[in-house]
Amino acid sequence: MTGNSIGARMTGNGIGARVYSILMRQKALGAVIVMMVIMLFSGTHFYTAYNLLDMLNSTSILLILSFGVTLTIIAGGCDLSIGGILVVSGILSIKLQDLMPMEFAIALAVLFGAVVGFVNGFLSVHQKTEPFIITLGMGLLLTGVAQQLTDAHPVPAKNPAFMMIGNGDFHGVPNLVIITAVCFALAYWLMRYTQFGRNLYAIGGDYEVARYSGIPVIRTKWIAFVISGAGAGLAGMLLSSKLNTGSAIYGDLTALVVNCGVVVGGTSFAGGIGGIPQSALGLLVFGLLDNVMNMLEIRSYYQVLLKGAVIVAIIWLDCFAQKRKREFV
Amino acid sequence: MRMGRNPVARAVQAFFRDYLVLVMITVLVTITAIVQPKFLTERNLTNIMRQFGPLMMVSLGMTFVIIGNFIDLSVAGIINLVAVVTISLIGPWGQVPALLTGLAIGAGCGALNAAAILTSGALTQAEALFLTFGMSTVFSALALLYSGGMTMHFWDIKTSKSMFETIGAGTVGPFSVSFVIFLVVLLLLWIFQTKTTEGRAISLTGGNKTAARLSGIRILRSIFVIYVVCGLMTGVGAIVLFSRITTAAPVIGAGYETNAILAVVVGGTTLKGGKGSVLRTVMGVLLVVLMSNCLDLLGVSTYLQVVTKGAILILAIWLDNRKQV
Amino acid sequence: MAASGSEVILSIRDVSKSFPGVKALDGVSIDVRRGTVHGIVGENGAGKSTLMKIMSGVYQKDSGTIEFDGARVEHTTPYQSMQSGLAIIYQELNLVNTMSVGENVFLGRFKEMKGMRGTHAKARELLDSIGCKVPTTRLVSELSVSEKQMVEIVKALSFSSKLIIMDEPSSSLTGEEMAELVKIIRQLKEKGISIIYISHKLDEIFQFCDIVSVMRDGRVVDTKAVAEFTRNELISKMVGRTIENEYPARPHSVGEVVMEVRSIKTHKLHDISFKLHKGEILGLVGLVGAGRTEIVRAIYGADKARGHKVFLGGKIATIRNPKHAKDFGIGLIPEDRKLQGLVLPFSVESNISMGSIRKFSRLGFIRRSIEKGIGARQVQALSIKTPSTRVAVNNLSGGNQQKVIVGRWLEISPQIFIMDEPTRGIDVGAKYEIYLLMKRIVEAGASIILISSELPEVLNMSNRVLTIFEGRITGEFEPEKTPVDEIMKAALGFEGGAA
Repeated sequence: MTGNSIGARMTGNGIGARVYSILMRQKALGAVIVMMVIMLFSGTHFYTAYNLLDMLNSTSILLILSFGVTLTIIAGGCDLSIGGILVVSGILSIKLQDLMPMEFAIALAVLFGAVVGFVNGFLSVHQKTEPFIITLGMGLLLTGVAQQLTDAHPVPAKNPAFMMIGNGDFHGVPNLVIITAVCFALAYWLMRYTQFGRNLYAIGGDYEVARYSGIPVIRTKWIAFVISGAGAGLAGMLLSSKLNTGSAIYGDLTALVVNCGVVVGGTSFAGGIGGIPQSALGLLVFGLLDNVMNMLEIRSYYQVLLKGAVIVAIIWLDCFAQKRKREFV
Repeated sequence: MRMGRNPVARAVQAFFRDYLVLVMITVLVTITAIVQPKFLTERNLTNIMRQFGPLMMVSLGMTFVIIGNFIDLSVAGIINLVAVVTISLIGPWGQVPALLTGLAIGAGCGALNAAAILTSGALTQAEALFLTFGMSTVFSALALLYSGGMTMHFWDIKTSKSMFETIGAGTVGPFSVSFVIFLVVLLLLWIFQTKTTEGRAISLTGGNKTAARLSGIRILRSIFVIYVVCGLMTGVGAIVLFSRITTAAPVIGAGYETNAILAVVVGGTTLKGGKGSVLRTVMGVLLVVLMSNCLDLLGVSTYLQVVTKGAILILAIWLDNRKQV
Repeated sequence: MAASGSEVILSIRDVSKSFPGVKALDGVSIDVRRGTVHGIVGENGAGKSTLMKIMSGVYQKDSGTIEFDGARVEHTTPYQSMQSGLAIIYQELNLVNTMSVGENVFLGRFKEMKGMRGTHAKARELLDSIGCKVPTTRLVSELSVSEKQMVEIVKALSFSSKLIIMDEPSSSLTGEEMAELVKIIRQLKEKGISIIYISHKLDEIFQFCDIVSVMRDGRVVDTKAVAEFTRNELISKMVGRTIENEYPARPHSVGEVVMEVRSIKTHKLHDISFKLHKGEILGLVGLVGAGRTEIVRAIYGADKARGHKVFLGGKIATIRNPKHAKDFGIGLIPEDRKLQGLVLPFSVESNISMGSIRKFSRLGFIRRSIEKGIGARQVQALSIKTPSTRVAVNNLSGGNQQKVIVGRWLEISPQIFIMDEPTRGIDVGAKYEIYLLMKRIVEAGASIILISSELPEVLNMSNRVLTIFEGRITGEFEPEKTPVDEIMKAALGFEGGAA
C-alpha cells in the first residue's frame, strides 16, 4: 500500500475508470457541456448576449437561494424551508412598506428569514432532530402563513423604487445579476477564506473529529441555518421586487429543486464536499435546462418530465457513487 | 423531559407523550362542540366521514413506508397519474378494467420507486426523500402529458360510471360506501401488518436493518413491498378522490404527501422506523380531518389551518425525537 | 533504570477507571522520561487504549493523578490536551477525509494561520521537517495509511508537542513505510520530544524503544529498560496469569469435518482456508484488525467476497447473503450486539423469534401462540433475566441481551454457530453462563467458531485455535497441548508470517 488513491482502488486503474470517476465528480459540468454543444447545432438565438444574460437573470433567485442552502448541506444537514421563507419574506417586504420606509421593510424581511433559520438550527442542531423533515415542516407552515397573509390574492407592489431593485439594470447588466454576483462572491469568500467556512467543511466531513479539534460544532452548524434562512429572506424580497407582487404560489417546489440543484452541482448530502461554485453550476444546469428546452420549443409538459428525469438521474448517481465506497450494512 | 419523581406524575407524563394525539383530538372536539353546536349534527358528522377517504388511503400506505424507515414523497404524482388515466379509461375500456388499471399503475409507480432506491443503493430516508421527490415530478409530468393538461369530468363519460359514483357518493345504511371501503382496507392492512410474516419482516427491517439482515430477513424484498403497498394504496386513494369530486385534473394530488406524512407522524408512528401501526395512522388522519372540520366551523381560515398543520408536524417530530433520546 | 537520565515529563500515579461491569484500569503507575521512546505492550483488553484516552482527555479517570510537564493535568477535552503539548495519534486516524492535508493539520486554526496560504505554507514546512513529500493540497482520503500517519505526526508537531503517543501505528504499514516512521521517531527524539509507543510488534519495541512497560489486566506489571528484557520474558509477562476456575471443562469429543472453507480472498484477507469439525470449538486468535471478523462475515455471506468456496458436509454451499447462510444452518452472533444484533425498541420475544419466523407461521400468517411459546422457552432454557418477554430488549443487561441473540439461533438449531466477541462488556457471572451454553451447544453436536479478544477465554474454551495475522493464518494449535507463548508469537506474526 504505497500512496494508492482510494479512487483508483475503487474503480480500477484503467482509462475508462478514470474518465468515469471524473464524470461522476463533475456531473454538472458534463451536463452543461452536453447542453452547450447541443445548442451549437440548434440554430436558435441561444448564443446571444441577450439570451445568456436573460438566462442568468431568471436563474438569479434560485442561485441566491442555493448559496445559503449549500452551507447547510456541506455541514451535513439541508434546508427545505427556503421555499416557505421565500414567499413569506417576499410578502412581508411589500406589506411592511405600508408601515415603514422601504429600507426597513427590506431589512425586516431578511431578518425574518434569519429568525426562521435560527429556529431551524435550534431544532436540527441543538435538538438533533432530522433536518430534512423539520425544515420540510417549517416550509409547509410558512406556506400557510404566506397564504394567510395574502388571502390568496397576490399583493401588488406600489413603490416604483422597490420595483426597480429587481427589474432595473446598471449599464445594461440587470440588477439581479449584479446582486447574485455579489452574493456569490460573499458566499465564496465565506466558505473558502474564513475559519467559519472551513469549520463547516470539517463538521460535515467528520463531526466527531471536528469536535475533538476544538471546533464549536453546535454553534457553527446553527449559524449555517441562520445564514440559509437570511439568504432565503433576501431572495424572497428580490423575487417580489422582480415580479412586482408578493404571492404565495412559488414556495412548493422551490425548496426541493434548489436542494437537488446543489447536489447536482457536486455538493453531496453526506456533507463535507462541494462548494459555492459547484452549487452555482448545479443550479445553472437547471437554469440552462429551462432555457434550452424553451429555445428548442419543447412542449411544457415534456419539459417538466425531462426536469424530473434529470433530478432522479443525478440523485441516483450520487447515491450509487456513495454505495461503491461503502461496505454493506 | 425531566421525569417527575412521583410515579403517578411519571405515568401521566408518559400518557401525554404517547397519546398526545388522542388528547389533542379530545380537547379540540370538546371546544368545538361547546362553541359550535353545529358540530354535532348528523350532517356534519356525515361530512366528516366523507373526508376520510383519499387521505386515509394514502396515509395508510405511507405508514408502511415509514415503519420501514423510509419515506415516499411521490404520492402526489401517483395520485395525479392514476386519476387521469383511470377516468379516461372508464369509457373506452369499461369500469372494472379501468379500475384495475388504475390500481396497477399505482402499484407500478411504487415498484419504480423501489427500483430507483434499491438499484442506487440508497438506504437512508434522506436519499429516498429526494429520489421519490424526483419520481413525483416524473409521474406528475406523465399525468400532464397524458391528459394534455385537461381536466376530465364524469359528465364527459358517455357510458356507465355507476361504480365510481357509488364509491364517491353512495351509502350503505347509515355509512358512506367510502367508509365501508375504508373499514375493509383497514382490516386487510392491519392483518398484513400485524399477522403476516412479511408485515413482521417490514417492522424488523425498519427497526434495525443490519440486525434484520444478519438474522436472515430479506430486507431488499421488504423495501420493495413497502413502496408497492404505498403506491397501491395511493392508487386506491386517487380513485376514491376523483369519484368523490367527479373530476380528475392532473394536479389533484397536490399536497397529499405532506398531509399523509403529517397524519402518520402525528398518529404516533415514528420516523425512525420499526414501531408504528395503521391503527395509529387512523387516529392521525382523524386528527387532521377533525382539525380541519373544527377549525372550519370555528371560522378559521384555510391558510391558518395550513400553518397549524406545519406547526403540529414540527411539534410531533420534535417530541418523537426527544422520546427516543 | 532510564536510558537517558533526564527528568520525568509524564507521571501517572495510581490511575483507575471503571466502566459498567468492567474495571479497565486498576491503579496504573508509569513514569515517562523526557526524550525517550517509551514502549507499552499488552494483549487486547490490557487497558492500553483506555489509559491513552484518559491521558488525551477523551475519558476522565476515576482516581489517581497525572502530571505532565511539571503540572497536574485534568484534561477534559482532546483539544486541551493537544494545546498543553500532549498529542495522541490513534489507530483509527483522527482526520477529516474530505479535506486537504494542510487543512487537517490546522483544523480549527484557520484564522491563526492567516488563511489558506499560511496554512499550506506552514504545513509544508512541517512536512518537510520530517521528510514527507505529500503535497499539502491533496485530500486525506487519497493518502495511504502511512502518509496519513505522517499528517497526524505533523499535526502533533504543529502544537509544539512535547509528548506524542502513538497507538499501534505500524499495523498497516509496509516494511519501507515502517523504516520511514522509525527515522521520524528518531528525529523527534533528537528534538527532545518524548514518544509513547504502543504496539504488539515486539521487534519494533526492541528496535527503537528505550524503555518498555508491560500491561496486563489493567495494571502495569513491569517497567524496565528494553535492554534488560528478553523477548520470551516480555511475552510471558504479557500473558502470564494464574488460571482460576473461570472456565468449564473443555468439551472433548470432536468428530468429522462439517465445514471446509477454501481461499477466502478479500481486500484484507489473503487465501484463508480451514476446516471445522463436528462438536468442535474453533477459536480465531489475533490482534484487532487482523481479519477475524472479516473471515466469518465472508463465510456468512454478510460481505462481498468472491471466489471462495464453502463446503458443508462435503457438498459445496453457495452463500451470497445471510439468508442463505441461515438456510444452510449457520448462525452468526455479531460483534456489536446493540448495533448489529438487536432491534432495541422491540420486545425480548420479537428479538428471539425474528430468526425463526417461518417456524411460527403458516401460509404467511403468524401464529402468536407458537411465537409466545418460543419466547418463553428460550427465556427459560437460557435463564434470561427479564420481567417478561414483552419488555423492550433495550432494558436488559448486556449478558441477557447476548443470551437473547443466542436464543434466537438456538430456535433453529444451526449446525454451526459463529460467535464474534460473545462476552464483550459482560460481567463475570454472565460470562460463565455463556461458556456453559457454548459447551451445551457443542455437546449437542453443533460446532462453534469463536472470536474473542480475550486470550484466556479463547484458549480455554477452544479445542483448536487458528492464529490470524494481517489477513493470513499463521498457525494452528491445540491450546491444551501448546504453551501460550507459542500461540501468542504466532498471533503476533512471528511463526511464518511477514512481521
